[in-house]
Formats: sequence, structure tokens, C-alpha cells
Amino acid sequence: MDYSTVPSGAPILQMNGITIRFGDVVANNKVNFELRKGEVHALLGENGAGKTTLMSVLYGLYQPQEGETIIKGQKTSIKSPNDAMDLGIAMVHQHFLLTLPHSVTENIVVGLKSNGFFLDLSSAERKIKQLSEMYGLKIDPKAIVGDLAVGEQQRVEIIKALYRDADILILDEPTSMLTPQEEKSLFSTLQSMVSQGLSIIFITHKLREVMEASNRVTVLRGGKVVGTVSTSETNETELAKMMVGRTVVESIQSKATSRNPDVLQLKNVSALNNANIMFLKDLSLELRKGEIFGIAGVDGNGQAELAEVVAGLRKVQGGEIIMDNQLITNLPPRKIRQWGLAYVPQDRLETGLILEYSISENLILDRWYTDEYSGKIFLKQGEMREFAKKVVTDFEVKTPGIDLPVNSMSGGNLQKVLMARELARNPKVLVVHNPTRGLDIGAAEYIHKQIVKQRDNGVGVLMISLDLDEILTVCDRIAVIYEGKILAVMDRKDADVEQIGLMMGGKVVVSKEGTS
Amino acid sequence: MSVLTVLSQTRQKVGDIKFFIPFASGALAFVVGAIILASAGVDVGNAYATLFRGAFGSVFGFGDVLLKTISLLLAGLAVSVAFRCRQWNIGAEGQLYMGALGGTIVGISVLGAIPGLGILAVIAASAIFGALFALVPALLKVKFGVNEVISTVLLNFVALLFIAFLLHGPIKAPGFNPYSPEIAEESQMPVIIPGTRVHAGLIIAAIATVGVYYLWKTKIGFEIRSVGANIKAARYVGMNVGKSVLVTMAISGGLAGIAGGLLVSGVQHILIEGISPGYGFVAVIIALLGRQHPLGVAIVAFFFSVLMTGSETMYRSLGIPGAFSMTLQALVLVFVLVGGLFVIWLNKRNGRGVR
Repeated sequence: MDYSTVPSGAPILQMNGITIRFGDVVANNKVNFELRKGEVHALLGENGAGKTTLMSVLYGLYQPQEGETIIKGQKTSIKSPNDAMDLGIAMVHQHFLLTLPHSVTENIVVGLKSNGFFLDLSSAERKIKQLSEMYGLKIDPKAIVGDLAVGEQQRVEIIKALYRDADILILDEPTSMLTPQEEKSLFSTLQSMVSQGLSIIFITHKLREVMEASNRVTVLRGGKVVGTVSTSETNETELAKMMVGRTVVESIQSKATSRNPDVLQLKNVSALNNANIMFLKDLSLELRKGEIFGIAGVDGNGQAELAEVVAGLRKVQGGEIIMDNQLITNLPPRKIRQWGLAYVPQDRLETGLILEYSISENLILDRWYTDEYSGKIFLKQGEMREFAKKVVTDFEVKTPGIDLPVNSMSGGNLQKVLMARELARNPKVLVVHNPTRGLDIGAAEYIHKQIVKQRDNGVGVLMISLDLDEILTVCDRIAVIYEGKILAVMDRKDADVEQIGLMMGGKVVVSKEGTS
Repeated sequence: MSVLTVLSQTRQKVGDIKFFIPFASGALAFVVGAIILASAGVDVGNAYATLFRGAFGSVFGFGDVLLKTISLLLAGLAVSVAFRCRQWNIGAEGQLYMGALGGTIVGISVLGAIPGLGILAVIAASAIFGALFALVPALLKVKFGVNEVISTVLLNFVALLFIAFLLHGPIKAPGFNPYSPEIAEESQMPVIIPGTRVHAGLIIAAIATVGVYYLWKTKIGFEIRSVGANIKAARYVGMNVGKSVLVTMAISGGLAGIAGGLLVSGVQHILIEGISPGYGFVAVIIALLGRQHPLGVAIVAFFFSVLMTGSETMYRSLGIPGAFSMTLQALVLVFVLVGGLFVIWLNKRNGRGVR
């Protein structure tokens, strides 16, 4: 792919001095942004850097307090997404806006003004076929969207934009749900779209993607533009420095653990998902003491179910689970925790914490009944406060006050409180599910350090993550989960991204390690 | 967004503007009430003066305010306890009636005639009857997932009709009216303010208010609150959700039952069909307006009692129907609801409401 040059010529889009305030918070501070015809322009920044806010201005969702937007040489004010679409701007959201029971064509033509009383689906299908050939977006117009893979659904969203004659396309974190293969095909689509004159804004926080698939990159930090550079004239280290304001190169030594005894075993475990479909099928795995065991995979392949059967939150239909020589299959959650499990669930806001509770109440949520924090009848408020103060100091939690509801705290600090509670159990096994999703680099690094510290103390850590980069950085051994089965287990040093990617997509590779 | 969602979201956050909403709502309700009265050709000033004179103008009148407060407060606490666990118990009326039945059965038995013990037995029986009756929807919910809103609403009719049946037959006193026999004197609550009907139940209601305040600081209270605040989190940390629901509903039904028992033991001394003029339903509004905080519930219960007592006087001296008091109550609820939405809207506008 050729991203070595930046298209010259007049910009198709200019945003000058955009400022947006929410109360006292300045989300965008005099932001300048420019997009040229035929370029992929990456918008890079941590969570909360202001990327989405800026794009929401462009898409007509927010009105800026200051600044102007110039599109194709015309000063414009975009009051709603409809205005944006009329100007040829389309946005592909992170979470797709598709109706699953309907066909690809129906999803694409829905809401068009040109639709008459009766839908002319066959001519729409022809146009979709044309577009799909033109840009290499393989899709069957008659297919039901619910039957399509995530990567294909994304193609439907892109075609939907093209169908409406968009020439400025905003992609919000488009790779977050894709396998490496799907990602590759997306990138080649982007290439063919810009070569035919479209312009693309690519929102991301992944440095590798910026390097692979953009002409230029604008880096945002704390609502301000740090700089705009040509991708060919920069590198990942420099971009990381711009993004977080310091150099971050996370490196974690992996540990050989082959002689350690198992601390958690799953033997032929099967379990239903929420729709009562057998979702874990004869899943077996062994977690050793003092290792971080990573589960890689595309979302929805049984990761949540796996975590929940271990934690006792989901009934096991067949097979058994043994933790530290004790059968824990289908024991109540409290029993399993008392035997040595700590579990950091993926949805820290919905499951991990109670947002209207204070830090101290959240910290004793799993031990409110113990003598340490409770007398015969009443909770021990003094001890609860001491615990909270200790955690705030030890974990560097930034909080407006330990007695206030935690819902005013940032995601990173919430995760620290959650981790603190779980780690204070002195667990034998720690299960973490997407532990750093939505956190900025600094907070993610901190969480990783805490996890590694547990490993070094002999805890067996099961890390389930959708972020392959995270798994490859942190884990000692790596397994791939696909449709409720473990396809392969390998040491980190033998891990091959290409191979893992194929397995995440369901292709079993016969390797020298063999499958388990 | 349902009524319950709006009001429970704004609960507990006392401070700045939210604190004034209930007071502003009360005032606005009176303003709109005035418009209604004026449009009916009533002298508004005189009507409101009569209302407040009825409530505060005489020792006996104020005594009646306190008397109604006992029932409204206990029933309001009952509902608020359930709401803290996100159990939408709309069945306080039925539980209240079953409590009244329990108190009556003991009061007309030999147990009720034991000096010094009769009253305690009556209160205990009414609490137990109310609790057991509330456990029916609770068990249906825990075992079979039956929605408690529907089951508790319907069980109100079961309770009322069951008592009507008993009063027309099995426990009917001799004579023409469908009344139960009078309970023993040893089962009757003593009057504590001479010249009024205020009985010792006021002390019980006060103790219950303090008790509910401290309930939330106990082990089981924490478990109940957690289940109410976030059931997924509670399950995940190993709390027993089913147990919490059962305990909550037993406490809730018990409190409503005591409210019913006190109507027999402290006021009527017999069981009759219309012994409660819907205290258990008004209690739902009281619990919501009181933000499920015992002190808030106490204040709102007193305020509603003033409205109810005063409007009785308005009816007697001016002929303004009792429905006007209900209109005022409903207006307060509407304005508080709008105020709650206003706070949510403010939060959203300031970009710190929904994460």
C-alpha cells in the first residue's frame, strides 16, 4: 500500500479554531483540522482526547462555541446529521446501526428520500453490486445482515455511506471488532476508495494502524492538537510520545512456568449462553501458578461465558472445574470467591461496581459480611474508611472524596478501585476480562503492572481480552478461543500474529505445538 | 422513562437545586389547586384558610393530623423499604388489611385479653400477617420470576375481598353490620394526648422511622441496598439476591401490617371493610416523594396527613369534596416528577449525567 506521499491540492475540509465546552470542561480547544481530497487522515488520541467530540461537530451532533468549518471552499454550519449527509459527509460508527433481521439492500436503502411508496429493491441491488465491485467490498445484497460476520456488517455500513454519495467518510475505531484478516481487507478497501477520490478520516488510538493505513495523522491530547504530521515522516515511538506526552514502551518479561503446578483446570466444560444455546463446547484448559494465561479471540466466541462459569455466575452443563485441588463446579459465587478466586469482569460500570456507592462501600461489596468490616449487626464504618484511604494511596486513585459516589470518577480510576478490591482478596486465581478496555495508556500500563505483580507472587492469572496487542504484551502463554472451544495453546515466544489471526477467524492451523 | 425510574434516579442527592424541588412542587400544587377552586366559584382564600384551620386550628384537629400520620408513615416506610431493593411493592394496602385482620384475630381471642401482653400480641400478629402476605409475591418472584408489580396489585383485591368474606360470615359480630366483634380492652392502644385520638402507635411509628434509618447501616441492609442499586453487581460479588428480596418484602409487609393492626387496636377497636381509606396506595406516592429516605418519608407523610385532615374540614364547612385533597396530592407528585426530569435534563446539558 502506498501511503508514502500526501496528496497535494486544496483541502476538501477545513476546521479552524473549533472550541467546545461542556460546563467547565473544554473538550476541544481551538482545534485546527484539515483533510485533503484523496487522503486517509488518521485522528489519533487517547480516550477523552477529544477525537469523537471533533467528529461530532463535523457530523452535526454538536454546535461549536467558536470556530468555523469550511467544506469544499464554502463556509458551512452543520446543524444536524442530515445537513452533514447533504454535504457528502458520512460516519461509520463503532457500533453499527443495522437491523439484523433485514437484508443488506433493505438496510442500505432505509430512510432514503428517493424511496417511493414501493421500494425498488432490484435497482438498488444493481447499484450496490456496482459499488461493491468498484471498491472491492464483497457483499451479497440479498444476504440477511444478522447472518453476516462483523467484518461484512462493517462493509454494509460503508456501502450505505457510498450509496448516499458520500465523499468524506468518518470511520470511528473501525478495527476494534475485527480479526487481523478482516482488518487487512478493510485497509485495502480504504486504499481503493481514496485512489478513486474519496477522503477518509480514520479515528483510532492504535499506533500500528496509523502507520499502516494513513497518509497523515493529527494527534489530539487533552482537547488540543499536538500536531499534524505525514505518516511517512514519523514512527510509532514519536506518535506515542505525542499522544501521551511522554515515551511509553511497555515491555513485560514473560516467564517460563512449565514446572509450576496447575491452579485452575477446566475439563470438558460446556455451558449455555443467554439465548440457551450451547456456547462452550467441551472446553478444557489448565492455568498454572504464577503465569498469565491469555485468551485471544473475536468478541462473542464464548469469552464472557468462560469467565462466568469460572466465577460461578453461569451454570456448567457438563464437565468440571477444579481450583486448587477443589471441585468448584456450580458452587455459589461466594463459595468460589472464598476458595480463592478474584474476578474483574469486563463491564466495570454495570457489574463490577455500584456507581451510586462510595469508594469504601464498593470496596467491601464482596466482604461486607466478614468480621473485619461488620459486627454482629452493623457495618464497621471506621474500618471501611480506613480501607478506602489505604486503597486511594496505594493505587494512586484520583477522587474528589472517598465518601462521594464513584460515578464522578474516570474509567481508569474506577478500574483501579475494582482491581484493588479484587486483589485485596489475596487470590489464588485472578480472572480479568478486557481489563484495560476504554482506559488511556497510562492507566492501562498501571493495571498491567498490578497484574504482573500478582503473577510474580504466584497467582495464576487468566486474562481474557479482545485486544490482541495486550495479550501479546502481557501474557506468558496464549490460547485462542473460537466458537466456545480452545483451538490452540502456545508460549508467547512461539506466538505468531498471522497464525493467531487465522485461528481467531476459525481456521485451525496444524502447528508443531499441536492443539489441546 | 417510567415514573419510578425518574424518581429513583434523583433519590438521595440532596444539595443545590434538587433539595428545593419538593418544596417548590408543594407550593405549585397549591397554586394550581387555587385555579381549580376559583374556576369552581369557590373563595380560594377562605378554602385554604379552612384547610389549615382544620389541620392546625384545634387540639383535636391537630391530633387527627398526627393520627393519620401514624398510618401514612408506617405504610410509607413499608413501601420505601421495598423500593430500596427495587421491589415495586404496590401491595401495601392489602398487606395493611391482612395486618389489621391478624391484629383483630388476636385481639378478640383469649390472647388479646391478657393484661400487658394483649397489645404486644396484637402488634406482633399484625406484623406477621402483613409479612406473610407480602412473602407470597416475593416467593412468586424469586421462584418463578413473576413480576411483583402485577402480583402485589392483584393481591390487594384478594386481601380486601377475603376480609369482606370473613366479616360477612366467620368473624362477624352478632347484629346487622358486617363488623368483627370488638377487641379486648387489653389489646387497645392507649391514647397518649388527652383530648385527641392520638394513641401510642405514634411512638411505634417513630421507632420504625429510626429503625429503617439504621437498617441501611446493617449487614442485611447493605445487602438489600446493593441488590436494589445493581442486581448484577450484587450477584457477581456473591450476595444472595433471593434472600434479600424475601427479607425486604417481609420487612415491608410487616411494617404495612403494623399500620393496619394499629387502625384496629388504636382507632376502631373493630375490623370493618373500609378501615383504610387507601393509606397503602398513598404510601407509594409518599415513598417516592420522600426519596425512600425515612426522614423524607416522615415529612411527606405529615404533609399529606395535613392535606387529608384539612380537606375533611373543607368538606364539612364548605362542601368542597374530599377528592380535592387527592387532586392536591397528585399535583405534588406531578410537579416533583417534572422537577426530577428537570434535574436529569440539567445534568445532561452540563454533560455529566449519563456516562
